[in-house]
Amino acid sequence: MAVFQKKRLQRCLQVAGPRKELTIASLGCLLGSTLLLLAVQLYQDINHYLEQNEGPKNYFTMNKKVEGGALVNLGKKDESFSPEELQAIQALEGVKRIGGFKRNQFPVTVYIWPTGKVGLGSAAKADLFFESIPDAFLDFVPKEWKWEENATLVPIMVPKFYLDLWNFGLAPSRVEYPSLSTEAATGMPIEIFIGRQRTTTLDGRFVAFSKRINSVLVPESFLAWANKKFAEPAKDDFFFLWKDSVIDGPPRSRSQLLEMVDEPAFSSWEISPLGDPAKKVPASSLLSSSKKKPQPSRIILEIMDTPSAALLQFIEENHYELNREFPEQDFLKKAMSGLFLGIAAVGGLLSILSIATFASSFRLLVSKASVHSRNLLLLGFSEKEITSVFFFRFLRLFTWNLSLSVLLGLFCNYVMMNQVKEFGIVLSPWLYANSLLFLGLYSFCFLAVNRLVIKNAVQELTA
Amino acid sequence: MLIELEKVAPFPLPTKIVQESEIWGADISFPPKSASLLSAQSGMGKSTLLHLIYGLRKDFSGKVLINGQDTRDIPHQNWENVRKTSISMVFQDLRLFPHLSARDNILLIPTQNETIPAMEEMADRLGMSPFLDHKVSTLSHGQRQRIAIIRALSKPFQLLLLDEPFSHLDEANQLQASLLIQEITERNGASMILSSLGTTPPLNFDHQYSL
Repeated sequence: MAVFQKKRLQRCLQVAGPRKELTIASLGCLLGSTLLLLAVQLYQDINHYLEQNEGPKNYFTMNKKVEGGALVNLGKKDESFSPEELQAIQALEGVKRIGGFKRNQFPVTVYIWPTGKVGLGSAAKADLFFESIPDAFLDFVPKEWKWEENATLVPIMVPKFYLDLWNFGLAPSRVEYPSLSTEAATGMPIEIFIGRQRTTTLDGRFVAFSKRINSVLVPESFLAWANKKFAEPAKDDFFFLWKDSVIDGPPRSRSQLLEMVDEPAFSSWEISPLGDPAKKVPASSLLSSSKKKPQPSRIILEIMDTPSAALLQFIEENHYELNREFPEQDFLKKAMSGLFLGIAAVGGLLSILSIATFASSFRLLVSKASVHSRNLLLLGFSEKEITSVFFFRFLRLFTWNLSLSVLLGLFCNYVMMNQVKEFGIVLSPWLYANSLLFLGLYSFCFLAVNRLVIKNAVQELTA
Repeated sequence: MLIELEKVAPFPLPTKIVQESEIWGADISFPPKSASLLSAQSGMGKSTLLHLIYGLRKDFSGKVLINGQDTRDIPHQNWENVRKTSISMVFQDLRLFPHLSARDNILLIPTQNETIPAMEEMADRLGMSPFLDHKVSTLSHGQRQRIAIIRALSKPFQLLLLDEPFSHLDEANQLQASLLIQEITERNGASMILSSLGTTPPLNFDHQYSL
């Protein structure tokens, strides 16, 4: 149809629409499509974020439950897994492999220098611990992840969220601590002080940030060396020395007692453990008993999928605890899913109401122009041509609404983007391709429904 | 275009009128390129007959055939095409768009008849040139009738239906309009059926029927 003819047709069928209904429908369409667009955009942003910060899906750590108050636990009850227990866990259904955490047996204090230079500015100081696990359980092995005796630097790996805690927790509250990018954090010199009197100082460096292991990790080789060199005797390695049925001086360590083995009276002496002084045994029994090999108190498990029923039952029966690494991902996922569903539901409802209001408004519009429409049909214009006039009018209104909702959506997205930036969540300032695809589908549905309604209304004129 | 009526009788028409009519209940044909006059007083079914042929009403007995095809068998979409390209009509109530200008009313047709004189020329011959840009709502009924005639002639057609087209025209205007109608109908090689309230317009008719 020629352009002039189209314009003449539009002029001919130009009747005032129901303003109030059309305003309500437009508002509903504007808000509904904005909310739906935001929901789709948010869904993708969150998925993107979770993909980048995804915690391990099939890695869990396990330990024995720590119960009781601080005073009770000062007694250092043994929480480690025995070899038999480890064997039983390994044999459970769905468990692919297990690995034990080894920990330091000496006090560690670290000074972290965020300015990048030791002695410059303020250092973050903390009493710390080190753990190591077999490299096979690491999410990745950095190239700096090796340590040999006399190496100048101890590589350290911490969870990625430690850096987030630094950036969004510690740094904003302390003027002397700057926020750190991953690159900047790996450049920070770290002084490692070993021993209660800080007798030994080593240099350390964060070499990577793990998304799987929730611990402060150092290479196994370093920890084995350091434990051998700096380990303080464990509590069960100290004994009371009995000479002639009287306790002789302060408790002595196993190594101190072994140094006294050549003394003539050694065979007549007795010893008893610190925890049970009455349980005396001959001092010579030290020679036959070997030092107990330390067992891991925390293990990491790789399982097939979600924990099997057998594994959960075993944990329950043995009073163990199973921890999935970085569980906050689940919370975030649930919170965001809820937010997404909420926004999508409100947006969808508004859109449906808007479609219904538009439909009834345009039926009324066709009805108001029915005399002219009928005359045009009698002149030989087709129903399709008449329908297209009303549909074009709707299309114009819808295009305005959709354009405004895209602008409003982008604005809301921008505001949200700035709000959540503080939490380390980065939102895309632009629409994703999928959002555009959604807009296309949404428009198609909106237009198809209203075109059908208008077409039926025009058809009813000739019925 | 051949129009045939086979014992057609519209439902609401009284039996007496049907029995006394030359058209109702009879077998009549309107041959191609013929001009027919339907003459009757009000209420005898002139408009009804033209509406039956134009496919606006289906409440009748008998058959209306267009080129041998029963109008009841013509699908809805084909009727659109028939009205667009084959049959043109001047309605008794004109069916103009009062909020548009006379020019827009004439131009607002789905397809233009390429064989007719220019719109301005036809308007000039019917004395309507000064009123082309006037809104139809401001024109007299006689002026509106002339606009409706020009619009009907502007469409392509093989059959022209005119329902009391001169009811508000004086003799001079009737003559001018008749000449224009005759000329364009002949140029198109079309047939024509005209209804009137008993008077005979200044046109050459091949058949005259009394309803």
